[in-house]
Amino acid sequence: MLTVEHLHKQFPVAGSNKVVSAINDVSFTIAPGETLGLVGESGSGKTTVGRIVVGLIEPSSGAVRFDLAGNANNRARPPKGKVQLVFQEPAESLDPRLRIGATVAEPLQALAVDRSEWRRRVRDAMALVRLDLALLDSYPAELSAGQQQRVGVARAMITEPDLVVLDEPTSALDPTARAEIIDLLKRIQAERNTAYLFISHDLSTIRFISHRVAVMYLGMIVEQGDAATLFSQPQHPYSSGLLSSVLLPHPDLVMESSVSLKGEIPSPIDLPPGCFLASRCPFVIDRCRAARPPAESVGPGHIVHCFRHNDVAATTPASKTFEAFMAEAERILARPVSQPIRFTPQP
Amino acid sequence: MRAGVSTAIGATKPMGTVLPAMSADLLRVENMRVVFPTAIGRSRTVLHGIDLSVKSGEILGLVGESGAGKTTLARSILGAPPVPGRIATGRVMFEGRDILTLPEKQLRSLRGRRLAMVVPNPRGELNPTIAIGDQIATMARVHLGLDRKGARARALEMLKAVQIPDPERRMKSYPHELSGGMAQRAVIAIALICDPAFVISDDATSGLDVTVQAQILDLLRKLAAEHGSAMLFITRDVGITAHFCDRVAVLYDGEIMEAASRNALFLSPAHPYTLLLLAAFSHNSALRRGWSMTPPAPAPAAVEACIYAGRCPLAQPLCRREKPPLAELMPGHVVRCHFPVRR
Amino acid sequence: MHIARYLLHRFAFILPQLLGIVLVSFLLVKSIPGDPAVLMLGPTATPDAIASLRAQMGLDQPLYMQFVLYVNHLLHGDLGTSWQTTRPVLDDLIQRFPATLELVTFSLILAIAVGMGLGVASALNPKGWVGRLADIYGLSAGAMPDFWFALVLIFVFYTLAHWAPAPLGRLDIEVIAPAPVTGFMTIDTLLGGDMHAFRSAVSHLILPVLTLGLINAGPIMKMTQSSMQKMLASDAGRYEMLCGIPQRLVSRHALRNALPSIVTIISVLYGYLIGGAVLVEIVFSWGGAGQYAVQGVLNSDIYPVLGFVLFSAVFSLIVYIVVDLIYVLIDPRISH
Repeated sequence: MLTVEHLHKQFPVAGSNKVVSAINDVSFTIAPGETLGLVGESGSGKTTVGRIVVGLIEPSSGAVRFDLAGNANNRARPPKGKVQLVFQEPAESLDPRLRIGATVAEPLQALAVDRSEWRRRVRDAMALVRLDLALLDSYPAELSAGQQQRVGVARAMITEPDLVVLDEPTSALDPTARAEIIDLLKRIQAERNTAYLFISHDLSTIRFISHRVAVMYLGMIVEQGDAATLFSQPQHPYSSGLLSSVLLPHPDLVMESSVSLKGEIPSPIDLPPGCFLASRCPFVIDRCRAARPPAESVGPGHIVHCFRHNDVAATTPASKTFEAFMAEAERILARPVSQPIRFTPQP
Repeated sequence: MRAGVSTAIGATKPMGTVLPAMSADLLRVENMRVVFPTAIGRSRTVLHGIDLSVKSGEILGLVGESGAGKTTLARSILGAPPVPGRIATGRVMFEGRDILTLPEKQLRSLRGRRLAMVVPNPRGELNPTIAIGDQIATMARVHLGLDRKGARARALEMLKAVQIPDPERRMKSYPHELSGGMAQRAVIAIALICDPAFVISDDATSGLDVTVQAQILDLLRKLAAEHGSAMLFITRDVGITAHFCDRVAVLYDGEIMEAASRNALFLSPAHPYTLLLLAAFSHNSALRRGWSMTPPAPAPAAVEACIYAGRCPLAQPLCRREKPPLAELMPGHVVRCHFPVRR
Repeated sequence: MHIARYLLHRFAFILPQLLGIVLVSFLLVKSIPGDPAVLMLGPTATPDAIASLRAQMGLDQPLYMQFVLYVNHLLHGDLGTSWQTTRPVLDDLIQRFPATLELVTFSLILAIAVGMGLGVASALNPKGWVGRLADIYGLSAGAMPDFWFALVLIFVFYTLAHWAPAPLGRLDIEVIAPAPVTGFMTIDTLLGGDMHAFRSAVSHLILPVLTLGLINAGPIMKMTQSSMQKMLASDAGRYEMLCGIPQRLVSRHALRNALPSIVTIISVLYGYLIGGAVLVEIVFSWGGAGQYAVQGVLNSDIYPVLGFVLFSAVFSLIVYIVVDLIYVLIDPRISH
């Protein structure tokens, strides 16, 4: 449905001739109803990719093609409203002077939908995100962060999009609100077959919501593939290092990894000729500094950009940690079936 | 050093809970209540009688969501609640005395030297017109009495210890020239340069990249171990505390709901709120729904009710009438609940 | 180096800025009612005499032509002639402008000392007696007219106490003025080695400097106080407190961070006072540039007015450039 090919984007640096290479040769696809998780740290370019897909920024080179509703004519610009965006900071993305009802209805203006239709569609959108209709007359400041983000989702869904780009939608939320939004998104995807481009740095959330995952580093996708496979056995040193820093709330379960990444991300202004990770990578060899590793297929739909991916895979056994954690969680967190027992502390 | 016993004895009274004097406690917070004025003549209680204790060499984690009072608690322990808050009651026992009764001058000499804080959002809190090398060196000059040269040398040592790349050059950098991770390291250097006995880390790693966060946590743990400091590690992220802390406490709306050793809390959590937090992280929506409850229309909370009763799926009529004390469920495991979950 | 390039950039803009200022002043001055030719010739003038004088002065030309002619003269260093003093405006101003500058500069130094001193002290002790004093001072300084205050001072210190000299200019009548090098009486008397004249100059400066200095310390004090308080209450200020930094060091840092706002208001005051000191100049018969310009306005003598505007505009622009340079030095965040 969405095909991105060889995307490049440079931003000029103010006051000099240099450029920031925000995106370097990014390619991926998203099928209808699928979630692609885009993972990366600061400077990875993931936000820029999201903005290009939505059309807020023009790429320096490369193609973005949409094939929606079976239209095989591969249009570069999707029909209005079919691609939507949900932002990171709910408080900042909602106009503080507009009531919720007006905010949710805003996209309908651009679509030139008849005014008589508006009321029904706003109600439907609010029902979809399970928000009380009484909130339509409230202002954003009266809502909790979780509720504000639901409004953001309602606003995105009101145009019935085929693809929603979500840029760190849960990073500003507390854990409980975060979990609720993720639930909501999964349910919407099941009901409406909406595809998601889910951009985040929160790996456990990505693992849960994505079908496929792409890991970005300094504007490049270093590894892409099925979420469960990639998380259990990453083949790129950066993916492996990233996963090893995930801390699950269980003291005995640790993400095994052979890679611990030291140092800081280098500047995206003067990118080295070889692999971008070379300065920090424990697997680095001379070849890595000379040329960028090309894409290599290591499984169905799974590609890696690393000369030594076999070694990476070999040094870390396939991890079952996530599955183990889910199982443990079920055990520990099961609701007690018996009657609650009164606890009377001894004086 | 394994966690000792931190007990609140008896007393269904919400105030006046007394802890037995434990000589091994490095820092003890007793019944701290902090209020914020809202309108003229009115005020809101942000912390309702917090009891905490940390032993030498121990890392105590404090988990809470936004608005639970984490930053208020962190700053109040140092005697400086966020403006316009006021410490209504409470004691902070450190090295044998209640530091909240000390005059401001003496309190200042303790802060930074024996009691240090790592703040979140370092680029917003560092002085924007002074190079970080000078800011770190100032700590050494003011607290350790070093001369200019000695203080600068010490500051450089600390920058190397926190693994800032290119430390000599960074001595002259200004806060706005640093990335988030580097600024955080600078703030850690400021906190640790005087070898404090107790470090409070307030949300020090949120907003940082995961790989940088991992390095900072390692660094904190290493430095704390080297210097024998104790730490209060405040965070929203429950996952960190499972691997980084010795004991963990859960804060909800200004009250401690549960506190236990790390294994006890994560493997046999007792308070319904703790279970909700863990369920949220497990991404198992069925589990989470089992522990959450949409609060009904807000009823005026009786002063003597459990503060969590409005959201608790296990709430009984007793919970809305009587406030449970923070009491010992098992050795070293305290919980504030009339009907805690037991295995 | 950026600083050199920045300076060049700023200086290049002075000319268009000045042209704009001159244009606006020209139009404003021309809109003052009153026919200069009539005023010059007096009430007994005949219409023919007036008409021929007008033609001579170029007043019968269309407005834009007059402006073009004026700018043309400017470029040749001719600021016109004052019909009141019958001398070239440029010479008049060269004589009078330094008088104002000397007065204003010393007054500003006093204003800075008092204003910042009181501002810092009251920011550190907002509830103490210093704070109360600062509040009262700020109110009074803002409410008092400067010429009234000048008259009060003269009354107290000259009429009653006989300490101050008579308010009749910059020197005692019998003292011979030194050779004008800078135009500053204090400097020129020292350069000329005439200690008696020097003491005379200083004694004549005391009252007017006290007047302008104490009154204008008010806004400086308010700005210092509020900026300091903001810095002390900021996240950075609270953080230093949390780190146990002693109060005097925290205050020093707060003051440094408050400097940009304070420097701004000082620079604005400096530019303003060149013209704004006129009432005090009149009270003390100072013979300054402000007085000169006011006479020009009252008598439709446009060239002195325009000349004065030009002088003070150039002065202000230079002050602002210097201030911008100071900003770059004190705030590392500003690096173009």
